[in-house]
Amino acid sequence: MSESFEQDPLRDPLIERVRETLRSSPGAKPDAAAMGRVLQAVWAEPRASFWRRLTDPLRMTTFTRLGAAAVAGAALFVGFLWRNAVTPSTAASPLAATGPATGEYPVQYASDAAADPATVAVPTQFVFENAKAKQVSLVGDFNDWKAGETPLVKLESGLWTATVPLPPGRHVYAFVLDGTLLVADPRAPKAGDADYGREGSVVMVFAR
Amino acid sequence: MSMNRVVSSLVALALAGVSASAAFAQGPAVLPIADVKARQAVEREISRAAAKGLPTQPLISKAMEGVTKQASGERIHSAVASQARRLEQARDLLAPSPTVAELVAGADALVVGVPASMLKQIRAAWPRQSVAMPLDVLTELVARGVPAKHALKQITTLMVAGATPTQIAGVGASVQSDVASGLAPDAALEVRARGVMSLLPSPAAQALLAPSSRGPRAPR
Repeated sequence: MSESFEQDPLRDPLIERVRETLRSSPGAKPDAAAMGRVLQAVWAEPRASFWRRLTDPLRMTTFTRLGAAAVAGAALFVGFLWRNAVTPSTAASPLAATGPATGEYPVQYASDAAADPATVAVPTQFVFENAKAKQVSLVGDFNDWKAGETPLVKLESGLWTATVPLPPGRHVYAFVLDGTLLVADPRAPKAGDADYGREGSVVMVFAR
Repeated sequence: MSMNRVVSSLVALALAGVSASAAFAQGPAVLPIADVKARQAVEREISRAAAKGLPTQPLISKAMEGVTKQASGERIHSAVASQARRLEQARDLLAPSPTVAELVAGADALVVGVPASMLKQIRAAWPRQSVAMPLDVLTELVARGVPAKHALKQITTLMVAGATPTQIAGVGASVQSDVASGLAPDAALEVRARGVMSLLPSPAAQALLAPSSRGPRAPR
């Protein structure tokens, strides 16, 4: 009991002083009842508030330091959680984590059986035929129309392809040839463009 | 440096990190619009929308679409302002608490000419479920030439009868390919909606499919 008290990191300096005084009194015999009364009186004394101890470096105990560190950690955690909540999630910008398009079918999205089919990203293949183009990329509302972010790969047949996971719903897109020329997908229904007057294509994505 | 100062600095750093993280998340990124005045006007538009509580990502996306389509700065500004207005209108029509996906779908519906009142009717059909997919399908049907009134009726009937968003999306995709292969948009929608309806177990769906639904049965 005594040993565990000695090692207790939460020990109070005031209690320590009382203990030392009692120990050093000549002829003093350990009196458990008296010690109990003294300790009770000490604990009954009003203590500084948590905020006071946090802001007063001279009174800061090990416990307070640990508490401050915990508060800091919690604040960071909450901050980053909140940031994730207010910034677009990976569902909103599904291409962020996919890397360069490979033409391979990313089955990990399709096999997520527990997820809600109304929201889980669906692998969607885009195909474009142009043997003369040196580069083809996909732009659309799903990648913020960023040219070059989703390149298509050229197959030996001369077809270009990319498979990207898209959230279910209606998506408007187009292809960018050699970095500058924007063309609609000739194999897909057209999407009008009231804002810029440049026709695109539309794809309806849903879990089949 | 004492332990106390280290702890105090740690707390201050943590609080600064929280503020910086939040500020970075909400501030618009610098848009690659060559015309400086137009870029600043677009950024002001996005900030105004954020102040109204509208999502900024669809506006950034609209501006980037203009950049990729090599539109003038003035036109990009005009498109972003229009999109902000549509998002605000959609928010009012899809009240009380539409998601970002619903707002974007609502704005897209308004662009293709879906009457504003129809957004309210879609919300009324599914007050607690996301209406993003039904709105997307309504937009697509209207864009393919189905009269808005007819499209709305078929979609809300499916919604009320218990069709899932995936089933409703399937109707939209099927009509899309039917129209591409030459079927009339109206007829394609009717047949595809009926196909989904036959899969639904709800009494409302079965009543709609039954021959008696064409008119009241005469009393015996």
